[in-house]
Amino acid sequence: MRKKHKLASSSSPEVDEQKGRTSSSRSVFDGHKLVFTLPVIIYAFLLILAPLVYILFLSFLTADNYGGYSYDFTLQNYAEVFDGTNLGIFLKSAGIGLLTTAICLLISYPFAIFLRDKPLKTQNLIIKLVMVPFLTNSLIRTYGWITLLRKNGVINTSLLFFGIIKSPLPLMYNYLGIIIGMVYTLLPFMILPVYSAVSKVDQNLLDAAEDLGAGKLRKFKEVYLPLTLAGAFNGSLMVFIPAIGYFFIADILGGGKAMIIGNLIKNQFLTARNWPLGAALSIFLLVITFGLVKLYEKIGGDLDELGAG
Amino acid sequence: MSELSRFSKPAKASLLVVFLLVLAVSLIALVKNRPSREDSPKLTLNVLNWTSYIPDEIIADFESEYGIKVNYGTYSSNEELLAKVNSSALGTYDLIFPSDYMVDLMISRDLLAPLDLSRLQNLDNLNPKFLAQEYDEDNTYSVPFLLATSVIIYDESKLAPIRSYKDLLRPELENNLVILDDQRITLGAMLQASGSSMNATSSAALSGALNFYEKLRPSIKAFDSDSPKTFLITGETDAGIIWNAEATLAAAERDSLKIVYPAEGFALSMDNYCLVKGGKNTDAAYLFIDYLLRDDVSQAIVDEYPYISPNLSVASLPDSELDEILSRGTYVKNVGADIKKLDKLWAKFK
Repeated sequence: MRKKHKLASSSSPEVDEQKGRTSSSRSVFDGHKLVFTLPVIIYAFLLILAPLVYILFLSFLTADNYGGYSYDFTLQNYAEVFDGTNLGIFLKSAGIGLLTTAICLLISYPFAIFLRDKPLKTQNLIIKLVMVPFLTNSLIRTYGWITLLRKNGVINTSLLFFGIIKSPLPLMYNYLGIIIGMVYTLLPFMILPVYSAVSKVDQNLLDAAEDLGAGKLRKFKEVYLPLTLAGAFNGSLMVFIPAIGYFFIADILGGGKAMIIGNLIKNQFLTARNWPLGAALSIFLLVITFGLVKLYEKIGGDLDELGAG
Repeated sequence: MSELSRFSKPAKASLLVVFLLVLAVSLIALVKNRPSREDSPKLTLNVLNWTSYIPDEIIADFESEYGIKVNYGTYSSNEELLAKVNSSALGTYDLIFPSDYMVDLMISRDLLAPLDLSRLQNLDNLNPKFLAQEYDEDNTYSVPFLLATSVIIYDESKLAPIRSYKDLLRPELENNLVILDDQRITLGAMLQASGSSMNATSSAALSGALNFYEKLRPSIKAFDSDSPKTFLITGETDAGIIWNAEATLAAAERDSLKIVYPAEGFALSMDNYCLVKGGKNTDAAYLFIDYLLRDDVSQAIVDEYPYISPNLSVASLPDSELDEILSRGTYVKNVGADIKKLDKLWAKFK
């Protein structure tokens, strides 16, 4: 049985019924557990664990100048991770990541609260629509934004035509372009967990808050927010981490001028041909991710919910 | 699990139908794409080449003429090519197209297999001017494919004439320039702009290049190697430092775009046919090289991507102009271990 959610706990009959269903189906699965999980275990071992071990190993080797490496153990790569030029890139990445996360949160909460009062059918339909963009490769969708954002793109041309602006707005090939691309690409990863948490909040609590005279803002602050914190953190994690790593968005919409951690790692592998340093940077990113997951657990998040959105 | 069970029964049924449809369509596509046994070619060839360099039809024609299946991959810089060759198992690639300095570097790293020139009947089509270059003095490992040059392109209807890299520092070029996302070419331009040679690695030369770059930085709107012509054609930028073919294509789209060879100098980049050591399809590779050396094929390639063909009879330029380009331009050279210094400098550019 799954650990019960500490924060987003709920006692609505719908959830209780779900629990009953999961536990009864679980007993059927138990006998065949291995059969069902073995492919996943093999998959995870071959395609996730083994490459990670390789990266970890690589990060302690010494690079030569041409993309090769020798088997001399060194910690030099980790020292180079914290090199002066890199620190600037980390700060820039963190800024982009935090801003993207904040904007996604600001969009997702009102959206989820609005959605929760709609009939279930509408909710399901809209959540499916949120997921529709996943059917197209994100690289192609990012290229699509160029048509909208460029100097003579759809947005600038329309605004100029209607006389709203006098000269084209610089919408891309700068930080604004990167943020637009990140928010667009990562928003579903915030909406899904936030919606999932918000829709589980007990209606009785909201009614009680309203009866006691709470306005919309107070209701959000004292009922929604504390009960959905884990969901919001879950979403933030799934937005922040990719936002510091999606180098193709920084390249395409930022014009290749702004480097984020993702570009830095990609460059070590493709341009600077320093695989050990690239590996050390990847491990560094992994440690940050792990730290954030630990933090998530600490504030009462359920690990099973991570990635379930 | 809770996510799924929230869907109602009809919703689940509709999801199932969608899922089955997707599955069916992908299965059909899979079956259709599988070549039938009769027409499956016996030979394959694994090629890794620059993006936008050989038109698809040329490859398709070769495949049908010789019954060889070409697996075609691309890269956008020599460094990316080196990384890909280095990181792949022996025999992954048969034929690659490294530039001059990368040929030298790859020879020194023992990554290339020697060419048997007697197997290339169309070798005589080449202008001897392009053979026996410094990076591979007797063409043991390389035969020239196309010559690229880096040029300045600008819109003369919007900007006063530009003749040199220094002219790109003018205030009206603020956020108005696209440059190649290519370490050696762009660093080389900065080195030349600050009065050094394109292949200099002394710390004085490098700090001079960085100085010039810092002055140029406000002008740069984007780094792009894959399709910088788009910036000029759509008017996203009014100037660029880009490959000659990209510039020619852009100028064909917009009459006001003018191409100039920068006063301080520019890069020559000769891309070559090279066999990768350990390649398994050498026979197919020779056939493909010989095919591309044909005058009509070379002509068709430069018609689509207007670089400079080394074929004598595919003269895209008057002889005098070609000589001037060859004498004023500089080949990028392999700088050995000093490449580390260039890596460090390039990291500061972004």
